[in-house]
Amino acid sequence: MKYRIVSAAAYIAFFALIFLLPLFLNGFWVNRVAIYLVYSICAVAISMSWGYAGVLNLGQGLFFGIGAYMLAMSLTLALPENNPVPELMLLNMEPDAVRDLCCVTPGSFLWIPFRSLAVGMIAAIVVPIVLAAALGFVMFKRRTAGVYVSIITLAFALIGQLLIINNQPLTGGFNGLANLALLDIAGLEFDPYGPSVYYLVAVTLLVVILIARYLLSGRIGQILKAIREDEARARYLGYDVENYKLFIFCLSAGVAGLAGMLFTVTAEFASPSLMATSFSISMVIWAATGGRASLLGAAIGALIVNFVGSLASESAAFQPVWPIILGGLFIFVVLVMPNGLAGICKGLIERWRKRDAAREEAYP
Amino acid sequence: METFVIGLSIASILFMVALGLAIIYGTMKVINLAHGEMVMIGAYVTVLATKHLGFSLYWCLPLAFLITAAFGLVIERTVVRRLYGRLLDTLLATWGIALILQQLIRIHFGLALFGIQIEGLGSDLQNVPVPIELQQSFRFLGANIPAYRAFVFTIAVLLGAVTWWLVYRTRFGNQLRAVSVARNMAAACGINDQRVNALAFAYGSGLAGAAGVLVSGFKTVSPDMGTPYVVDAFLVVVAGGVGNLIGTFVSAGILGEVQSFVATWLNDVYGRTVLFAVVILILLFRPQGLFVIKSR
Repeated sequence: MKYRIVSAAAYIAFFALIFLLPLFLNGFWVNRVAIYLVYSICAVAISMSWGYAGVLNLGQGLFFGIGAYMLAMSLTLALPENNPVPELMLLNMEPDAVRDLCCVTPGSFLWIPFRSLAVGMIAAIVVPIVLAAALGFVMFKRRTAGVYVSIITLAFALIGQLLIINNQPLTGGFNGLANLALLDIAGLEFDPYGPSVYYLVAVTLLVVILIARYLLSGRIGQILKAIREDEARARYLGYDVENYKLFIFCLSAGVAGLAGMLFTVTAEFASPSLMATSFSISMVIWAATGGRASLLGAAIGALIVNFVGSLASESAAFQPVWPIILGGLFIFVVLVMPNGLAGICKGLIERWRKRDAAREEAYP
Repeated sequence: METFVIGLSIASILFMVALGLAIIYGTMKVINLAHGEMVMIGAYVTVLATKHLGFSLYWCLPLAFLITAAFGLVIERTVVRRLYGRLLDTLLATWGIALILQQLIRIHFGLALFGIQIEGLGSDLQNVPVPIELQQSFRFLGANIPAYRAFVFTIAVLLGAVTWWLVYRTRFGNQLRAVSVARNMAAACGINDQRVNALAFAYGSGLAGAAGVLVSGFKTVSPDMGTPYVVDAFLVVVAGGVGNLIGTFVSAGILGEVQSFVATWLNDVYGRTVLFAVVILILLFRPQGLFVIKSR
């Protein structure tokens, strides 16, 4: 009982802090923190699949990146100078190609639906889910489990990244999409350096955490935990292990896509670096630092690691050492605090409870 | 034929890296994501030894083997041994090690902070001089074969043979196989399984280091060159079936050739894409890999 109260208090305190923060920050930092909140959503997505179901997806960056690209395509086409054909295609087209989106470069017709902003926004979530479903179906139906899933997703993301870099005329190649319009929904313009985008991200994080918590505290969450602890036993008890894993894998991919979409809104670019192996693994370490099995913990972990990281890269002396500190953090978290900050908090509460109980026994 | 030989050399590198990974994974169920960094360190040993000590590429092979084996030993002793039985966590911790190693090269082992620079380190790309006799090519079965590719293949086969001998014909190999089948039972029979772990980790790392020397001969050397190797090598191990050398050998051969042929036909990126697709297909039809040893 006591734990639930403390946990509810932690949620309220965290979100009160998040929602009040922009009052004390300038535009630059509002934008920075908004990006960190986007990363928090990523960490929550990792926590959902890894912390709850033990499915460690090391290719989450691919889904994040696809989400970012989908919206970025729409926002590219929203600029007048990119019509009828985006600049990046004009640079890469054959000299005698027709200047129309249907056929200016090979495959450019794929961009046509993205003239509508709604399509871009929906695709940012649906495409990652569909991809995850396809990959997950192959993996889980063959009962690929544990570390194999991690390696296959890692390789999958690596290939995705290479394909995007390789198809320059279609995707902008190594530079990605950087010349974007601001997100504008029904006349309401979202300014990445103002409170509008910040609150868009913060509210999304709140909604994602609440929905995930509602979902995972129920029956599904229990079954997923059972699968995490002992897959064979869960199967023996009659649960369809593969479908549950597929479900959480896709859900997590969808959340990552959503986060990617918000990243485009906040950071105003989408590039292949979002799909890099190192970025995918970073997400995992954010979640691990905060506490892999705690949604709030994962969100806080992402905020802390990124905040400290940005402070470190501000100073010239610290910047070259930061990757070493980050690497050390990986090792430290895994060796010393496998359940992250949330695990430490839980341990403390447990100790208080025991002390209270002991006291009550001594002085009834 | 030329493509085939290039494929053979890709396969040789893959085989050497994957062999080390397979021994480490097979023996102690640890995914070593810092394995690619052993390739990288092997390559940098070559860069430094040729630049500063005047070593030829040949002498770099044993040197890099020893140095990376020492690295492996330290990694096993300090980090990995605390994580046995926590597979996914080893993955994260070794990635942390990989990050640290890469950055150490970039900042000249930290000396750059004090304004000291060592030629051959840093984040720039490096090249290694290849001995004259390996720069030539010879004719074989009517095709031009670069001597260096043949050299890479020879070394890989040689090291493969040594490893086979070590695993199946020596006392250490016996213990290694016993530990990988039933750790507790082996320990109960008086095998020092900690020692076996440490040696296996060091040997696996050493193989990757030797592979790094060979890689440095035909690719530019940079601090982040290792990551693709560890991913590809793991795909090789998975496709070949965990825990047997023949499987690793055959699947490295297949995947190296596939990559080489597709890469010449289309380009490098599609080569890797198809490689990945092939691995997925293998897993679809043979989830345990191509070759499986029966174990209880």
